[in-house]
Amino acid sequence: MEDLTSSSQTFRGESIAAETLGDEKLLRLFADGDAAAARILTDRLGPRCYSVALRMLNNRAEAEDVTQEAMMRLWKVAPDWVPGQAKISTWLYRVTLNLCVDLRRRKSADALDSIPEPEDEAASAIERIQHSTRLDALQTALSQLPERQRQAVVLRHIEELSNPEIAEIMRISVEAVESLVARGKRALTAILAGRKEELGYDDIR
Amino acid sequence: MTISDKNSDLDQLFADARRASVDLPDDLAVRILTDAEAVRLERQKQAVPARRNPILGLFDGLGGWQGLSGLVAASLAGLWVGFSAPSFLPDPADFIVTQDSSYLIADLGLEAIILEDYE
Repeated sequence: MEDLTSSSQTFRGESIAAETLGDEKLLRLFADGDAAAARILTDRLGPRCYSVALRMLNNRAEAEDVTQEAMMRLWKVAPDWVPGQAKISTWLYRVTLNLCVDLRRRKSADALDSIPEPEDEAASAIERIQHSTRLDALQTALSQLPERQRQAVVLRHIEELSNPEIAEIMRISVEAVESLVARGKRALTAILAGRKEELGYDDIR
Repeated sequence: MTISDKNSDLDQLFADARRASVDLPDDLAVRILTDAEAVRLERQKQAVPARRNPILGLFDGLGGWQGLSGLVAASLAGLWVGFSAPSFLPDPADFIVTQDSSYLIADLGLEAIILEDYE
């Protein structure tokens, strides 16, 4: 955070700290050539991208690539960003989810012609981060949900976004979001109940 | 177990997952910022020519100082040849203005044919 504090001095004499500026203002500053704005945006938005990508892909390396690509698109769109058209975080979530879908489709297509990667490699990614069998079980269960249900559940219950914002990200109605989340949660409960005995999770009642 | 019990278990699990927040790996942050810097520098590079004087653009288009000096030298040489042609070359202006056209007809052997028609 030290460099961020010092970076606030470069924001054209503005007395307020750079960290308090909105995403749009920071993106405008970046488009105008301010490198410090990119650091703050990366700190603010990068973890959200990465978190969603990791939940959707369950693979650290792939989630990193998707996050880098999503942020790259943000840097490129900066000069053309129309203020007020959408929240930058909303736009970025949508880009991230679309990149995840594209990646999974490519992998599915490639899998027809090649030997599939060992399952353990994907599963171990989240294990290294969470060190928790409970959370591991949740991630495994999430991976078994249909794509749209998983997107809705992750955005609602992990990212804690509102239903209208999720609707905007997924370009569907609020009712459709509610339906996807409800069906996703029912499916998760069933999957976790099935795994309870299989994996011996006593703490998932 | 009731449905609400199951939901509260799941909600607790979500809450645990949120607490185990995912940090951005340092090397990924470096990669992202490297991209940002590359995009920023590229944009600055593109912005420079856009602000330049159009005459400077023409100057560059002609090849800069080297191209322009060559162009001036060639133009001056052409002008000099035009005004003072070497003596061994015929003057094209004299050739056009003073030549007698009857020589041309005679050369073609048409003169006799024309005269015969009149007779």
